[in-house]
Amino acid sequence: MIKTGRYGNVKWDPTGATPPAATLVAVISLNKWKASFKTDKLDVTFFKDVNKVYIPGMKDVSGSVSGFWNSDELALFEAADAEIPGLLELIPNTTEATFFWSGLAYMDADIDCSVDGAPAVSGSFMAAGPWTLAGGTLLAARRAEKAA
Amino acid sequence: MASPPDTAAIGNALIGHLLADAALAALMPDGVFRDVARAGKQRYVIVSLVDAIDVATYDGRAIAQGLYLVKAVALNNAAAAEAAGARIDQLIEDQVWPIAPGLDLTTAYRVADLGTVTELDAVDPDLRWTHRGGRYRLDVAITYTRTLGSLVGRT
Repeated sequence: MIKTGRYGNVKWDPTGATPPAATLVAVISLNKWKASFKTDKLDVTFFKDVNKVYIPGMKDVSGSVSGFWNSDELALFEAADAEIPGLLELIPNTTEATFFWSGLAYMDADIDCSVDGAPAVSGSFMAAGPWTLAGGTLLAARRAEKAA
Repeated sequence: MASPPDTAAIGNALIGHLLADAALAALMPDGVFRDVARAGKQRYVIVSLVDAIDVATYDGRAIAQGLYLVKAVALNNAAAAEAAGARIDQLIEDQVWPIAPGLDLTTAYRVADLGTVTELDAVDPDLRWTHRGGRYRLDVAITYTRTLGSLVGRT
């Protein structure tokens, strides 16, 4: 179902524990996240091919979060300093909270302080372990369902 | 608190902040009014909300940005209007005053000087009204605990 992003959320457990041991806490004052699941494409073009031909390689998982600086919580900047990956959970809409992506991630953090607005923070992440989509049916599973 | 605090308190607090200043009251003894002064008043301050934007985070409404026109208006007394305009600027620029629980003023500053504007009275052209003030931006942090109970599970 199409939902609004207004009720999105970002949760983080700095210990890197995996569910159910993980203690995920919402990172406050964020208002945007973005994730990319791009798969490398390997060029396997032959001499007689009429166009380039690719096969999929390894999937990359990375993305970003952003919002406002809030001195009540420094999770983003603590994550940027962490030497071990934490567990990151990205929820498109908390009213449908069983759908989310999660996985271990390393974080980087940025802050942009302008004279005419609230200081903005942003962070980028990259996978440090396998990432999964909970609550959804991924392509391979859907193919298997159709074939059955 | 399930709903965000009423941001009408921001303008009310600004008016209260101006009303509380004895120096401004001496220059503008007729008071501070929202949008329009009462009939017959000759030296007063006008506060009007010109524009406002709410900024959201995943936690709910987070920042209320308001642009307020604040000006002194005086009949046949340009000096009082100009002095009051200067006092208004002292009272707002980089100052902080309490608003209400859940509403914290983070910054207040002028974004445009209106200059000194003179106009003739609509009835008696021998009378002159002088306006002096500016447009001020107020950024207010909103803190409350949002609940999504009625939304969860909605189909």
